Amino acid sequence: MEISRDDFVIALRSAFLKKGAQQRFSLLSLIFFSIIFLILGSLNFKVTNYVKTAIQEIVYRSSFIVSLPENLLKDNYLIVQNHLNLYKINNKNVSELKELKSKNISKKIIEYENIRLKQLIDDYFVAGNEIFAKVLIDKKSPFLRSIIINKGSKNNIKLGMAALDSIYFIGKVVEVNYTTSRVLLISDINSKIPVSLEPSNIQAIMSGNGNEKGIIEYVSGARLKNKNDNLIVYTSGMAGLFKSGIPIGKIGKKNSLSNTGLMVDFYKDLSQLKFVKILSFKKEFLNSSIKVNEEVSKIDIENLENSKNENINFLKKQKKISEEIRIKLEDQNSSLNKQLIKLRKENIELNNLISKANILISQEPLREKNLEFLELNLLYGGKCSKNNFKNILKKKYKVGTPQYRACVLNKGKY
Amino acid sequence: MSSATKNVKLLLYKNFPVVLLFIAVLNETDFNYLNSKYFSFNFSYILIFYYSVKRSQSLGYIYIFIAGLLNDVVVGTPIGLSSLMYLILCVTASYLRNITLRPSLVKDAIFFLITILIINSLLFMSLNFIFDYELEIFDQLINITFTFILYFLFSNIFNFFEKYLVSNNNAR
Repeated sequence: MEISRDDFVIALRSAFLKKGAQQRFSLLSLIFFSIIFLILGSLNFKVTNYVKTAIQEIVYRSSFIVSLPENLLKDNYLIVQNHLNLYKINNKNVSELKELKSKNISKKIIEYENIRLKQLIDDYFVAGNEIFAKVLIDKKSPFLRSIIINKGSKNNIKLGMAALDSIYFIGKVVEVNYTTSRVLLISDINSKIPVSLEPSNIQAIMSGNGNEKGIIEYVSGARLKNKNDNLIVYTSGMAGLFKSGIPIGKIGKKNSLSNTGLMVDFYKDLSQLKFVKILSFKKEFLNSSIKVNEEVSKIDIENLENSKNENINFLKKQKKISEEIRIKLEDQNSSLNKQLIKLRKENIELNNLISKANILISQEPLREKNLEFLELNLLYGGKCSKNNFKNILKKKYKVGTPQYRACVLNKGKY
Repeated sequence: MSSATKNVKLLLYKNFPVVLLFIAVLNETDFNYLNSKYFSFNFSYILIFYYSVKRSQSLGYIYIFIAGLLNDVVVGTPIGLSSLMYLILCVTASYLRNITLRPSLVKDAIFFLITILIINSLLFMSLNFIFDYELEIFDQLINITFTFILYFLFSNIFNFFEKYLVSNNNAR
């Protein structure tokens, strides 16, 4: 027993301390070195940080060079695959382009409306300087789903900046060197992003699953209502890390069965990243508002011109209609005038008739009186007339005088 | 064949494990992560263990140490951690070499399995509890299993390489 223990100790000591023919350091010393590296790396000294940055710069570049042949093969394979699928892709692109063109106009209006509204609620705006970077290394490690990009502190990259592929959120900067940086992808298990699930507007935390998907780990407040709909995952803008509304991915119908553990399908294939856009989000009161105002005023001018043109067209139509109405009215007016003249004539004629009739009517009692006079004249004319010889002694009147008439009417009495 | 070309060829054959190790840690494709949930293995562990047991003179400890540092930088783990794990692997390999009288592939593989179980446990604990990284224990188990299984395959390939290419070149 004693011997075997000795053997073990001797073998172990030999393993730790014995240097081979070409070994300059024993294993024990190298293990010590490793531990020292680990301790120094976790301490935040300026010198160690510089050394660390220098090592990282060199290693990233070396890794890029070493990966060149493999990447060349990969690229060529992709080129061949793209060529084979070219016709299909082209047809798809053409139909998509048509659709997108039609959507583009309304989208622009909504975008600017969104900017205006965000300005109203004092939200975050995109800073002017976007930095485009090339992916140097895309090492798919189980510990860190991350990529190395060829921009660093030299290009104003800072910790926590957001990484986007076109408009989609793909990760954030977690390490910055002088000319390179590391972006932690959203598929990494260590990445925790505050997200918003639309259309229900539910706040949640999303983490990666270490593969190509994300997991909704914590859903705030209410349970998901529309389980039959696809849910769209956006950044929520909580904690002020990123601006809200950057699309990330979607949750399919099948996945939305429970509140936690929902699987998110990312819009972007995170294993095929070539170029990324690095952005930081900060409040830009003056510049952004001027920019937005300029954009908005541009749109306003366009709208104004459009509305002017519309107004002119409308007025022209209105003028045409009113012209037609005027002509009709004029016609009507002339016919009415004619009718009026005719009626006036008729009126005058009728008036004449009426006046004549009135005269006749007014003359009726006189006629009756005359008739009575004539009748009485036949009877009593002789008694009153001067011409009658029998009446010499009596008081007589000359025919035709009023006294004669009165005499006749009084039946010959004086 | 001129002697210069022959020398270069010999140098390449001799340093083949080192070159392979550096390519393995620096290259983008990592066998530790092959986009498959149920398949991954650690090629560096196999390479280091095999050459530390069989041809300790081919792979210097200092190169292993540097390869570990490079791996940490590329992968993004704390610098020095992979070096430590690689060196622990070397220690166990060296111990095995010291105690072995009759080499056997199965014994080596079992010893390798125990070693990688210890190493990955250490790695998991240190990353989880000290450096605050999150790891999937299931992925680790898959990785360990396939690393163990593939040790047999790679061991034979390396044997073939050493036996036919390097030895033949030395003989000439």
